[in-house]
Amino acid sequence: MTFRQPSILPGFGLTLGFSTFFLCAIVLLPLAALVMKTATMGWDDFIRVLTDPRAVASYRLSFGASLLAATLNSVFGFIIAWTLVRYEFPGRKLIDALIDMPFALPTAVSGIALTAVFAENGWIGQYLAPFGIKVAYTWIGVVVALTLIGLPFVVRSVQPAIAEVQRDLEDAAETLGAGRITIFRRIVLPTVMPALATGFTLAFARAVGEYGSVIFIAGNLPMRTEITPLLIVIKLEQFDYAGAAALGFIMLTMSFAMLLSINLLQAWGRRRLVAAGR
Amino acid sequence: MSITLDQVTKRYQGSPVVNDVSLEVGEGEFYVLLGPSGSGKSTLLRAIAGLTGVDHGRIALHGNDVTHVSARQRGVGLVFQNYALFRHMTVGENIEFALKVRRMKAAERRERRKELLRLVALEGMDDRLPTQLSGGQQQRVAVARALAHKPPVLLLDEPFGALDAKIREELRRTIRQVQRELKITTVLVTHDQEEAFALADRIGVMNLGRLLESGKPDELYARPATRFVATFLGAANLLLARQTEQGIRFGTTPVNARRVEKLDGGREQEVVAVLRPEEVELAPTRDNLRTNFIANGIVEEAVFTGALERMRVRMADGAANAHIGTHSSNGHHSPTALLDVTRTQHEQRLFPVTIGQTVAIGVRRIHVLPTPLSSYTAYGADEAACERLAQHPLLVELANRMKTRIIKRVESALAAGVATASAPVSGVAVISGGPNSAEQLQWLLQNGAGEVLVLPTHSASPQRVLIHWAEDSARRSTLAVAASLLRHVAAEAVYVGILPEGSGEAQRPFGVRTLLDARSEAQAVHGLEMRTELRFGAAAEELQRQLSDSEAPMLILGVSDPAQLRHTFGALFAAGAPYPLMVVYRPGRDSEGVSE
Repeated sequence: MTFRQPSILPGFGLTLGFSTFFLCAIVLLPLAALVMKTATMGWDDFIRVLTDPRAVASYRLSFGASLLAATLNSVFGFIIAWTLVRYEFPGRKLIDALIDMPFALPTAVSGIALTAVFAENGWIGQYLAPFGIKVAYTWIGVVVALTLIGLPFVVRSVQPAIAEVQRDLEDAAETLGAGRITIFRRIVLPTVMPALATGFTLAFARAVGEYGSVIFIAGNLPMRTEITPLLIVIKLEQFDYAGAAALGFIMLTMSFAMLLSINLLQAWGRRRLVAAGR
Repeated sequence: MSITLDQVTKRYQGSPVVNDVSLEVGEGEFYVLLGPSGSGKSTLLRAIAGLTGVDHGRIALHGNDVTHVSARQRGVGLVFQNYALFRHMTVGENIEFALKVRRMKAAERRERRKELLRLVALEGMDDRLPTQLSGGQQQRVAVARALAHKPPVLLLDEPFGALDAKIREELRRTIRQVQRELKITTVLVTHDQEEAFALADRIGVMNLGRLLESGKPDELYARPATRFVATFLGAANLLLARQTEQGIRFGTTPVNARRVEKLDGGREQEVVAVLRPEEVELAPTRDNLRTNFIANGIVEEAVFTGALERMRVRMADGAANAHIGTHSSNGHHSPTALLDVTRTQHEQRLFPVTIGQTVAIGVRRIHVLPTPLSSYTAYGADEAACERLAQHPLLVELANRMKTRIIKRVESALAAGVATASAPVSGVAVISGGPNSAEQLQWLLQNGAGEVLVLPTHSASPQRVLIHWAEDSARRSTLAVAASLLRHVAAEAVYVGILPEGSGEAQRPFGVRTLLDARSEAQAVHGLEMRTELRFGAAAEELQRQLSDSEAPMLILGVSDPAQLRHTFGALFAAGAPYPLMVVYRPGRDSEGVSE
């Protein structure tokens, strides 16, 4: 097997070498360190740390809230992207720019801002409180924070895909007798689906790793509103480096498994399409 | 009638993109809408499909008014230039889409799909994805898909636009075959005249939102009514000629061509003659010609293109300045006329020519355009005024669109009020609006002008053209001028009928009948679609009110008595009208003579 194929584009060896080096230095080396650190503890300790009820509760919150937030973002991000692409209205450019705000804002700032708004005496919180809905310091708060963080990922991935859906396709479907719902379900959605899946994946990945904004709004009650990244920080503060590494390792594994399965699902969907053509 | 359009208008940001189009397409007819890009043909097609609403007018399919029916309910078959196939579905799924939406049973669907694929010669391609097909095949699938639900009509929007020549021809044949087999009423939109000729039972030519002319391909080619159609359908030489009692005259050469239609009752006037390149004959001398001699000329260019030889011959003699077309692309009118000529190989063998050779030019057939607007002459009291007027944006735009020329003529008499002109007035006389425009107008009419255009210093392209005539004897020529002008501007036409103030209820039906008569005459004789409005009051005041109410108006005013201009319509000139004004003048007595 040889990588040296004649190509019109020179510098393949150089660029591949650089890519490999960069990936190693920035991504793989820290990961390796993480695995090595984990390996310093015994198997029994490892299992004990991972199956600690407090840790298990944190997994459930971290991944559950992230999935929920990514799903919410997929729905609302799609609608926002649709509005921005399809309609011409005053202030469109402004809203378009606002979408990126969560990217730029320090996450702690957005966490504090959300807490101020959703706390029981906050702007929105005070109206929700009479209905017995508490957002700040509950799992709902975590979902709200993660939704804010992930929104731009969905909008930015879906926007170009929606722009690409030709009006002619919808017009054609309409003359063929399809109603609006059918057109959306059978023409628009299938075309935008891959981009939407990408946006979902990105939003989910970001949410799992999010720390700054969540710790302000979550209240951080053990077993209730404690996310895994926070648990890691707590372990670090207690100088339990091996335990922190173990939790980090398990998060890494689970995230990787989920991202990989989403990617595989997408690839399978594509292949099924092509296979149908043969 | 399968498709009936009645005065359909679609505006975009105030200006009409489809302008008063009326059209009837018969059962099983293949109708081709031909026009340059931006002529409104695609918008019209989308309006028929229901994808675009209309601002005015009525659309009916098979006798049912569908003007306010959604595209989904109309269910026409529509084929797009870019195929618009659903790329995530197989060919079979694409074709079955309309049937699935209608909840047809799977077995029936399969049956219909097979039938359609056979029809477009794509048997066995059911499971392919559109991306695995060639462009031509994709468009076949699109045609099959559009026909699946047995639509009332089939609409094709530039279906061959994205294909190369060879495939184009093949697909063209398929579509014609399918259309004949199913006997389905079809409307195809294209900018390609060859395509139109190859497919159409009837062709409609559109430009600037108007349906200019509609007819069988051969008739449109042989007897176009407008410059646009004459030059858009095939090549044409447009020449200015003079219509006389005897016939047609180019410069000083009378041409005894038979069967030349007489315009405007044979009145001596400037006319626009159409000479098709293939109708021109070349010979060594005048005596060798077998057809009517029009001029001598020098061969400037000769290109062999297979079956035909394309030539350019520069006309000499008096016919030289008869030319009005723009041959050179840089916009300069050549001082002498170039004639496009095509010859068959047989003709080439009989009389081979070399570049630079002097030849006699004859013509087999001359067609005179039924337009009273032949050319423009800008009149001014001095050189500067003339020059300014000739540069007027609206005049330049009109002349460009009509493919005609603007001549400048200085007439000191214009200001001085001397009775006679230095040369006879021909074509449309143009003067600038101003305080003494009324006197200048009077002067021009006395010197034989039939049409005078009064242009204010600043005037945009008109959006609403009002038409009015003082006496019924001016009706015919006013409508002819209006029809000719409105084919070259993107404006709505409104005929304003005015009854005197205090005319009783008894007069009303008479007024309404006048309007309807005017409208049907405009439609039938001049191919002009216009709206009508009935007003009561003094003519000049009512017109002025109408003009000041509309955005970018223009007035076409027909009179048969010059004195009327001062008496009845003086108010229109008093302020130095801020809108373009076209005065049509025909002396009243000869049309009265006809009616008696």
